[in-house]
Amino acid sequence: MSRSATYPAAAPADLRRRFERLAAEWKERSRFLSNTAQMALLTSYQRIIGMGPVVVPLILEELQREPDHWFWALESITEEDPVPAAAKGQIPLMTDAWLQWGKKHGLLAP
Amino acid sequence: MTTHGLFPRLSKENHRSTSPSSPNYNCIAWAAEDTDRWWQPGIYWPLPSPKDDCGIGALEQVFRSLGYYDCDIGDSELGYEKIALYGNNLFYTHAARQLPSGKWTSKLGKAEDIEHDTAEDVADGVYGQLVGYMKRPQSRKS
Repeated sequence: MSRSATYPAAAPADLRRRFERLAAEWKERSRFLSNTAQMALLTSYQRIIGMGPVVVPLILEELQREPDHWFWALESITEEDPVPAAAKGQIPLMTDAWLQWGKKHGLLAP
Repeated sequence: MTTHGLFPRLSKENHRSTSPSSPNYNCIAWAAEDTDRWWQPGIYWPLPSPKDDCGIGALEQVFRSLGYYDCDIGDSELGYEKIALYGNNLFYTHAARQLPSGKWTSKLGKAEDIEHDTAEDVADGVYGQLVGYMKRPQSRKS
């Protein structure tokens, strides 16, 4: 399904439902993987990245609800990495850095 | 544990869960006895490494830096601690650590830690092949 055929016309509710379905599928399929490069290659994760900037608030919301390895997708879509070098690998700190980034950009409630 | 056939060698008899699930550390960290970080090139890796170098060679190098060297068998050896490395054609996929009892311990991705009877018990499914073993003198601490 091409992005131009589905993405611009998607209403926010449709977008949320699609994200939630893909996120649930990705969480299930990535549960036993120890390498985020493998996780990022899963079709559901690729489809989430393919949804583009409009999905970033939903990813941040999900990250806030249940920390998980959304960092690859966030970096890929935003081309930013707000995680300080000293926090790399520490998932709670990496999560905090992205949530702060989201708040700073008005994508999450302060 | 629900594995959906991802671990064809695991049975109720040969493994037991030893922790709750956690996305905070992975099997590589667990093999290195670190439960605070997720070890992976580009995230946290004790050696300089390109982000996309997730091959078995990168994994061997990092354990060499912790004092391990190649060995042929996974049998328990007095005075040594051992790890087992797993991979597929593209990536390293897993590492397991031998316990003093001779059994093995694995962190299964973002899921729980398990104790399993042999290193082979987690092979041939989602983690691909058991590629080899490494060992180091037991007294050495990373």
